[in-house]
Amino acid sequence: MTDMAVKREPAAAPVEPPPPRRRRKRSAWSAAGSAARVTATMAILFFVLFPIVWMALTAFKPARDAFSTALVFTPSLENFSAVLGGQSDLTGALLNSVLIGAATTVIAVPLALLAAYAFSRYRFPGHRSMLLAIVATQFIPGVAIALPFLTLFRSLGLIDTHLALVIVNLSIVVPYITWLLKGFVDSLPVEIEEAARIDGCGQVSLLWRVITPLAAPGIFVSAVFSFLLAWNEFLFPTFLSRSDATTLPVALMTLVLPEGVAWGQMAAAGLLVMAPMLVMAFLVRKHFTEGMTMGAVK
Amino acid sequence: MVASTVPPPRRRSGWRRRAAPYAHLAPALLAIGLTTVYPLVSALITSFRHWRLNETREPGEFVGLEQYERAFTDGTFYNSAWVTLEFTVISVVLSVGLGLGIALILNNRTRLSAFTKALLILPFAVAPALKGFSWRFMLNPDTGVYDKMVDTVLPFFDDINWLGDPFWALMVLALTEVWGWAPLIALMLLGGLGSISPEVREAAKLDGASPWQEFWRVTFPLLRPLLLVVVFLKAVFSVKIFDQVVTTTGGGPGRATESMNFFAYSQGFTFLDIGYASAVSWVIVLVLGVLAALYLIAMARQEAK
Repeated sequence: MTDMAVKREPAAAPVEPPPPRRRRKRSAWSAAGSAARVTATMAILFFVLFPIVWMALTAFKPARDAFSTALVFTPSLENFSAVLGGQSDLTGALLNSVLIGAATTVIAVPLALLAAYAFSRYRFPGHRSMLLAIVATQFIPGVAIALPFLTLFRSLGLIDTHLALVIVNLSIVVPYITWLLKGFVDSLPVEIEEAARIDGCGQVSLLWRVITPLAAPGIFVSAVFSFLLAWNEFLFPTFLSRSDATTLPVALMTLVLPEGVAWGQMAAAGLLVMAPMLVMAFLVRKHFTEGMTMGAVK
Repeated sequence: MVASTVPPPRRRSGWRRRAAPYAHLAPALLAIGLTTVYPLVSALITSFRHWRLNETREPGEFVGLEQYERAFTDGTFYNSAWVTLEFTVISVVLSVGLGLGIALILNNRTRLSAFTKALLILPFAVAPALKGFSWRFMLNPDTGVYDKMVDTVLPFFDDINWLGDPFWALMVLALTEVWGWAPLIALMLLGGLGSISPEVREAAKLDGASPWQEFWRVTFPLLRPLLLVVVFLKAVFSVKIFDQVVTTTGGGPGRATESMNFFAYSQGFTFLDIGYASAVSWVIVLVLGVLAALYLIAMARQEAK
């Protein structure tokens, strides 16, 4: 993002002011143009934000008003008390989501950092093909992973355990953040490592005392992505959990009752699913495009 | 050799130096291998067997390609393939088209655009399963807020039961996906637009090109390699659609929104026919393999640029 701005700067200078006769015509155009642009931008903001705002509003409406489209109402915490310990308690699922997300992150980040360091600092036989294989794993359909684990975990008695979901989450999280962290390690100057090595720093303490602190921003970003990917995952817990280890997105299904969906509670639970991820995504927003396109867009 | 004053860096023996990268890679490769290669191979083997979990706990006899033959003579499998194709085309066209529109509108340095750009990522962070519920709620034909808006602006749409109609159900499903992806694609394309030198566009303007001509003759050709990357990326994720099918339509009405992933899920998880579901999931692996190859080629070209 920063080098983009740098490239733009010098271009502004050589543009000569247009001759005065054309100017009036252009400013009329640009006034109309910028009004259109502002309107279009407002439409974009509406498209992007409205579903989020609407869910937040519905969550705070008294339960009987879930269907009202009124914008002014007396806020109530009814829906939240229903899903947090009340009639349709989702506290267990919320804790499962936190636990599974945290465990996935704690396991995935060190593994990925080591691998990212190897890809970044060494050239070795198989470098390119292994990197390509890591990218390719992102294209494996979830069912092809979940089905064999369903039968394996059944025979091991691991169905509906946190461990099962953490293991399966690694299949998407480790490759993704390995790629992300490789970008961060690439950008660290090699000189510091060489200096540390000359001072007699061994490989383990180099990784722990030099690389880890330097890559701290990257580690933070990849920890956020690990947690986010594990938190939003739906297919794996659908296959591999029943009730004890169910995560929050899957537990939303319990609000679909025979007499219809409990929309007020759904909105409150939805806000619990959504709000932490919105904050996290906002914090690492610059890195979404890099991760998704494996660096094709910078 | 003359002894130098600086102690020489510790030299490690040749095999240790050669083994170093693999030692660093081993834990991650083990984790990735165990969680991706193992299940893929296991599913491939199972796809050649007869195995219904409700009959036997252990996998049954090998039946060759029988499960694949079954898939390619199964109308409901063809239906899911067709639904997936339709869904992919609709959501790719809408996501990339809308994403490009958003990018072009926001490609300036006003404060409003900067503010909007900062918020663009938010829908993508919403769990896909929740997106499904959210849009299902807003398009409820009696009480949904979007349904009311549409009915006010376009009164003749009043009768539409969005999720009860095969066409609209698929459109709603695509919409849940477009809501998250179009803004993300816009961010990717804004990166690309930023790298197009302003002199080129300025030159086109000075030569009297209209904004329309400038877009098609200058911006679009320069953006095309990146657009191709984005199209394949979105296509891959569209073929994998699962979460919203469960939370929005459940595959219905009838089988109108039953994607391939959902079909494999219902065969394996609901009907416990692990053998058949494994074969179907391997067909999906092959489809995605082709798309992934195209994506990687497009990406290599974009990088070479």
